[in-house]
Amino acid sequence: MASITISNVTKAFGDVVVLREFNEVFHDKEFVTLLGPSGCGKTTMLRMIAGFEKPTTGEIKIGDRVVSGAGTFVPPEKRGIGMVFQSYAVWPHMNVFDNVAYPLKIAKRPKEEIKRKVEHILEIVHLSQYAERFPMQLSGGQQQRVALGRALIAEPSVLLLDEPLSNLDAKLRESMRFEIKQIQRDFGITVVYVTHDQTEAMAMSDRIFVINRGVIQQVGSPTEVYRKPANQFVADFVGTINFLRGEVKNGRIELAGLGQSIPYDGIYKGKVVVAIRPENMSLLPTDKASLTGKLTRTFYLGDVTDCRVDVGGGQYLRLVADSRSYDSLTEDQELTVYIDDFLVYEDDGREDHTKIIT
Amino acid sequence: MQPSLAPRKKELFFDVKWFIVAVIVALLLIFQVFPLLYLVYRSVFSTGKFSLEAFQRVYSYPLNWGALRNTLVTASLSMVFGVLIAFPLAWLVGRTNLYGKKFFRTLFVMTYMVPPYVGAMAWLRLLNPRVGTLNIFLQNLFGLQETPFNIYTVGGLVWVLTTFYYPYAFITISRAMEKMDPSLEEAARISGASPMRTLFTVTLPMMAPSIVAAALLVFVSAASCYGIPSIVGAPGQIHTVTTRIIDFVYIGSQEGLTDATTLAVFLMLIANVVLYVSTFVVGRRQYITVSGKSTRPNIVDLGKWRIPLTIAVALFAIVIVVIPFATVAVTSITINLGKPLAAGNITWRFWERIFTRKAILQSAKNSLVSGSVAATAGIAISLVMAYLLVRTNVRGKRIPDFLITMGSGTPSIVIALALIMTMSGRFGINIYNTLTIMIVAYMIKYLLMGMRTIVSAMAQIHPSLEEASQISGAGWLRVLKDVTIPLIGPSVVAGWFLIFMPSFYELTMSTLLYSTNTKTLGYELFTYQTYHSQQTASALATAILLMVIIVNWILNKLTKGEFSI
Repeated sequence: MASITISNVTKAFGDVVVLREFNEVFHDKEFVTLLGPSGCGKTTMLRMIAGFEKPTTGEIKIGDRVVSGAGTFVPPEKRGIGMVFQSYAVWPHMNVFDNVAYPLKIAKRPKEEIKRKVEHILEIVHLSQYAERFPMQLSGGQQQRVALGRALIAEPSVLLLDEPLSNLDAKLRESMRFEIKQIQRDFGITVVYVTHDQTEAMAMSDRIFVINRGVIQQVGSPTEVYRKPANQFVADFVGTINFLRGEVKNGRIELAGLGQSIPYDGIYKGKVVVAIRPENMSLLPTDKASLTGKLTRTFYLGDVTDCRVDVGGGQYLRLVADSRSYDSLTEDQELTVYIDDFLVYEDDGREDHTKIIT
Repeated sequence: MQPSLAPRKKELFFDVKWFIVAVIVALLLIFQVFPLLYLVYRSVFSTGKFSLEAFQRVYSYPLNWGALRNTLVTASLSMVFGVLIAFPLAWLVGRTNLYGKKFFRTLFVMTYMVPPYVGAMAWLRLLNPRVGTLNIFLQNLFGLQETPFNIYTVGGLVWVLTTFYYPYAFITISRAMEKMDPSLEEAARISGASPMRTLFTVTLPMMAPSIVAAALLVFVSAASCYGIPSIVGAPGQIHTVTTRIIDFVYIGSQEGLTDATTLAVFLMLIANVVLYVSTFVVGRRQYITVSGKSTRPNIVDLGKWRIPLTIAVALFAIVIVVIPFATVAVTSITINLGKPLAAGNITWRFWERIFTRKAILQSAKNSLVSGSVAATAGIAISLVMAYLLVRTNVRGKRIPDFLITMGSGTPSIVIALALIMTMSGRFGINIYNTLTIMIVAYMIKYLLMGMRTIVSAMAQIHPSLEEASQISGAGWLRVLKDVTIPLIGPSVVAGWFLIFMPSFYELTMSTLLYSTNTKTLGYELFTYQTYHSQQTASALATAILLMVIIVNWILNKLTKGEFSI
């Protein structure tokens, strides 16, 4: 049983509060991602679970054991956790084998057992033929695997990953995503993963915690977070979205400055913000809401065509059309945009959530 | 630096950069390499043909053997103690939540810029076996039969050498510690290692090359120090290689000079071996551990040890820094050194003396002139070298760099001796008895300090910063004015002082190179200390101390705390 229970945890460095009231349970064998922009407090949360930071208030339990709380603090080495650091933190004065074997050596395991286990892990992370190499002779991706092997060797029930893929190139990142997910399944461990990359979060997580300015914005599965973002920040941070201001009147939302409206039968009244994902609009006629505008730019991206449509009032919509439509579309042409699906939020008047995404 | 994969284009036209490199190399060859080589030549060809007679003579004389042994013993012990002090200090000040660690850091680094002989003067007063202030204080405190310490011993020499050379190790180790990625240690902790285990399996092995480099630096500095053994050792008949060399030179005969040379070759050998080891053996093993993201360094919570350790460091600072410096300051205003400092025993006459006596003022002026010229010329060369090293790929740029490093690693006494023998007309250049020979000596010894500062500043400016200015339409002069100079300006000033300060109060080389008209401040201070008036010497030393503190403060302000001497 390796759930992680976080109760009323806050963290402040001096006067700067980096994390407010964190109250969550990460379940056993769950893949949890803390997702947010840099400085949101996600790494601090991870480091508190590891024991590198002490919570200012609150309690952290791993399984049934209190590791940080009133009067108790278990140092990192006594927590039985595996961790992969953003900088890999592979020791340059030890070869691959010794790096990976380190946790077992600390635990004073017999030599044969260490050898057997290290060889097994090196096979899993595809480094068998590099056991004698030193980190300086390895590529970034290989060093990353060493770090992963070292984190897994002692068979921890909890694995922490601090932006482990951010220093790798795009192709490698994609394949590592698969591998990390596979390893988590095979080992049956609880994973807490910290990233600012929403694609990584979507691809691997059972649950995503979206954090901004030290506050959890939403908790949910990838589909929930993407399809039903709890607020404008989440809608904006996870994926791409267009925001338009408007007002609910007689079953329609009149969009500010556009002179156009779309039908609406939801619960909100008064001033609202309409949020539309680019892929939820199309140029093919449907019987749902529609807006007219002028096509200003098209970008051919290969698999899709990325379009900017001027819908009036100095506002633009970004939408994705299918790849082949690029040939028939001409810039400056008037067209109708059909909206399959949209979200509505109450307008809190803040500008930073309603900027046009470009 | 990434090596270019494209085949190098054959450059047939004349490159002005080669000319500059050639000029610098030529100067170094004439004023540094040739004299040093001649020194070696002279030691084996003293009679005109090859003979080891001089070696035989010098090294069979028991007094010289004693000096040799003393040098090796004191330097080794200072090295061991220096590192044993410096490592925990660097760790406490750099990586823990010790109280007042910024202040301590500044204090320890500052000692680095204080001339070593000041320490010798202070400890002489404190631990004199009969009248040493600290000795008598301790004797009364514990009711001892006699005073506990005697400074005129090998132990006393080691003590003063250690207290003045541990900052060398402290600075080297601190720098390496700051550069280490804290997650390397965190990875050990999360793997199950206790803080102690982490220290021994990760921190220490990773720091090993820097610790070895630091130790060697302390060893060679202590071995080639003249100021401390000449003040502390001489009264107790404890000779070292450096004091013996000076004695031989002062004999004035050709044979004396040959004997000095033979001893100097020994020092030079040690220095060159150390230089070789720390550059090519240890230097190669330095691990580059630049952190992936700028995490705050992992600050260790000392917990219940925080207050005791802070007190321990404070006590150390008081004993090693505050008491000696205060002693020198107090000495400078005491009339009768045999009596305690009291109302009737205080005078400003020694301070008045150092600002009025013609001889002292003349020496101060000499030091000021030679220090300024050395610093200015040194910075000019440093700038050119920094540009060549960082911004160009001109072939041969490593040659002057190597020579300058070698020059700086050579013991002062060896440089001075080599210059005396070659620059006094025998080979067509006669600058003996002039300030020029001082300036040349200072530059050989201290140029590297300035050059390192400017090179590292230049290396931190990404070329794109200059290119961005260029692409905005600025010519190279404008780029220099708008981008390069504002960015490296503070380091240039810092580098200037790093050459100026040690030149200004230099003692060892000045002792050999001075003439009646070119006495320097360091030499003046030394003669007052040894022959005339300790108080006057102390007033001068205090003035120099104040100068070091002020310069340090200015540099700190100027570079926003990033740089101090």
